[in-house]
Parts: sequence; structure tokens; C-alpha cells
Amino acid sequence: MKRFFIYLIAFLPIVYLLFRLFILDDVSDPIKYIYTITGVSATVILFISILISLIKDKINLMKYRKEIGLLGFFYAFLHLLNFMVLDALFDFEFIIKESLDKPFIYLGMMAFFIVLFMAITSSKTLFRKYNKYHKLIYLSLILITVHWIMGQKALSIMQYIYIILIIIITYYKLQQQKNNVYFK
Amino acid sequence: MNIIKKKSWQISENLVTPKELFEKRRSFIKLGAASLVASGAIMELLAKENLPNITLDFIKDENKNALKLNTYEQITSHNNFYEFTTNQSAVKDMAHTLKTENWKITIDGLVENPMEIDLDDLKKMLTLEERIYRFRCVEGWSMVVPWNGFTLSSLIKKVKPLSNAKYLRFETLVDSSSFPDQKRGVFATLDYPYVEGLRIDEAYNDLSFLAIGLYGDLMPKQNGAPIRLVVPWKYGFKSIKSIVRISFIENEPLNTWQIQNPKEYGFYANVNPNVDHPRWSQKKERVLGSFLKQNSLMFNGYEKEVASLYSGMDLTKFI
Repeated sequence: MKRFFIYLIAFLPIVYLLFRLFILDDVSDPIKYIYTITGVSATVILFISILISLIKDKINLMKYRKEIGLLGFFYAFLHLLNFMVLDALFDFEFIIKESLDKPFIYLGMMAFFIVLFMAITSSKTLFRKYNKYHKLIYLSLILITVHWIMGQKALSIMQYIYIILIIIITYYKLQQQKNNVYFK
Repeated sequence: MNIIKKKSWQISENLVTPKELFEKRRSFIKLGAASLVASGAIMELLAKENLPNITLDFIKDENKNALKLNTYEQITSHNNFYEFTTNQSAVKDMAHTLKTENWKITIDGLVENPMEIDLDDLKKMLTLEERIYRFRCVEGWSMVVPWNGFTLSSLIKKVKPLSNAKYLRFETLVDSSSFPDQKRGVFATLDYPYVEGLRIDEAYNDLSFLAIGLYGDLMPKQNGAPIRLVVPWKYGFKSIKSIVRISFIENEPLNTWQIQNPKEYGFYANVNPNVDHPRWSQKKERVLGSFLKQNSLMFNGYEKEVASLYSGMDLTKFI
């Protein structure tokens, strides 16, 4: 039942996106809109995936952590696909040049490759070998946050609120790490 | 007894479609068709019927370049107007708070005839025209808009600048009851008032336009009512909205985006596909309402008209 709700909620953004794009047909800047929906979804889901161990005494979702992480990867993948297919029209010279040239792009790329690595090594056997590197998710989340801020022309009040939220999450994660060190 | 005998072709009363439903039949049929296929063509038909009534009297633009207009719906639903919000699709529903009644414009500085003039009086002084222009935002989206208004040069000629007037400085209204972001103090997105500027020879160029309407009707609030600048060869942020002051000055003014981020935005902001924004490419643009991108043009396609203004200038430096 829990799993059903997780998938239901996680697929709402993509269903909503497709509905707006093809049924309502009222999106004026589709490529930008796809970036926004897939980017925000990936970010929120990946942040939730690191919150699971924090809230496990209240709501235990530890069993689903891997799946939630993969759902985050799914949206990150769509985000990258939007860049390669619709935005760059498979112009690989352009994609490579932009990826090397522009911090905004290469920070996003690096964040994606971290999540891609985690997705590939999430099977039982590979996870045993590589799980110590899965701490890279924190680096990825920092890169994602910087990438997202760089995507804005100017920060608005809502975005300040999101940044404060991210700082609060970081504080609790650091507390958790500290406690782990002391009690082990 | 008078018995009415039904003729063979008469149908019973309860089979007759009610009048109000009958009158709605077109929108009903379209709605059904739209929800079935939701094809671009049908949506386009619907959009065409969403045009405003033409309330302005103006000289028509022949559209010699055969530019394909964006729909009224698209132009009025996708707006950068940070005095309301940075969310482009939300401006439309928020813009009603902008108070445009009894709008006055102050024209001051280095001119022979400084004035504070009612917009209505200003409109009577000048000839209204239509200008179908490309509009390219620095963010990478673009549209084609049929503006209504008058040339900036026709206004400049009325106020007679002094010989030492080298630049024009424009200011948007500051009024926190009109603009929610102006209530936010240190949390405001930008420093207000929003300021833009032009060199006086740019302002005299025939393309520089003060728009008071679009699609033949008065300017919608989300598009910068009641009067805004349109300089089609420059990125959209130069085309300042809801103008209350135009000052003629000697030195280059600091415009809002240059203050906000001087590494990324300059005074000129000419559309230039060869000079990237530090964070994204400017080679192509996303036309509103389309999944496909098109190449951006030097000076947004107005090279013939404006390139001479910048001869000898290094356009990678004067961004």
C-alpha cells in the first residue's frame, strides 16, 4: 500500500506535465516548462530520499529508499533528455561545447552523473561493493542546488524560502552524522 | 373542437434543442473536438477567436517580412514583470492590481519643453501606428507581436532635447499598492524603480517605439500598461514597462539589470547570437507555443536598420 502511494505521488508530476503539454496545450514555453517540472521533481525526490533515514522512527520508508532514489533519477534523466533532444536537437558538438564551457551546464551534468552512477550501482550485488560511494549524493545535491540557483535570472521570495528549507535539512543531516559518529 | 394535426415533418417539442444550447453549439463542438484531438490546428482556431476588439485607430503595418504573429493568448500569458512575480505564467492573474487610471508621464532633464503630461493628452498629440516586431528575451524565448503606439522620435521632437542630451533614462512606476514585489523591502527581487536607458541616436531610430496597445486594443496590464518602450533589436528587458518618467541626461544611465548583475548584463543588450550569455547560449531561440527552436538573428533581424549605430564598437565588450 505504501509503495502504491509512493509511485502514485511520484508519477503525478509527469502525468501533470503531459496533460498540460498535450491535452490542455496551454504551455507557452514548452522546453522551459519541461526543464522546470522535471528539474523540480528530481530535486524534491532526491532531497526526500536523504530525509528517509531522518524520519524513520516516525514513518519508516527505509525499505523504499532505493526505489525513491531511482524515481529521482528518472526525472533527472528526463531533464537531461530535454536538453539533448528538444533544446540541443542532438547537436552533439553543441552539447559537448556547452558542457565544457558553461558552469551552469557542467555543474548540472556532474550532478547527473553522480545520480547515474548511483542508479547503476543500486542492484544488490553492486551496492555491496559501491555503497560507500553513495555518500556522493550529498555532493550531487549541493551541485543541484547551485545549478538551480544559476538557472534563475534573479532570486524571488519563494526561492529564498526554498534555500532556507535546504539549509534546515542540511543542519539536521549534519546533526545525524555527528550522532552516528558518537554512538557507534 | 380544434384539433391540431401534426404534419409528417413536425417533430415533438421535447426533441427540439433549447435555444441557449443551440447558440452554444459552435463552442460545444469545438470543445469536444479539442478534447478529442487537442491538435495544434484546432487550438489555433480557438486562439484566433480570442482576439480582443479593435478599439484603437492606427496606421496598419504591412508586415513586409511576413512575420508569423504569436496569438493574443500567448503574448498576454507569458510575461516577465518582476514587480509582480518572477513566474511568467502567473503575471496575467496578478496584474489587475496595477492602477493605470489618470496616468501621467514626466519628461524632464535636458530638454527645451519639459512636461508632466496626461497619457490621454499625449495620445492625442501623436499618430498611432501598428508595428509588427520580433521580440527576443535574453532568457532565450521569443515571439512576434503587433504593437500599437507611436515612434519614440515623434515624442522626442515635441520636447526638443538640448545639445548636451546624450542619453534617455526611463523609469517604471513605483507604487506598492500596484506592485506586490515593491512591498517586500530587502526580499524584493529587484531594486526599484526599474530603470532602462537608450543612447539618443538609438532613441531617434525609427524602430524605437512607445506602445500603448497590442492587437489593436489597449495594452493589457501584464504587458506593461498603459505605456511601454519597444526596442525590437535589443533583448526584452530593455523594453521597459509602465513608464512614468523619461529623463534626458548627459551620461550613460545604469539600467536595472546592469545594477543587478554587471558581469552578465550591460547597457546595450543588443540581440547577438554570436555572444553567449555566460550561463546559456544565445544562438537559438524558443518561439512561444512551439517545441522547435529557430536560429536567432543578429540584432534580432534588424541589422539593416541599426547596425550602423554600433560601427567600430566591439560587441563582445559592449554587451
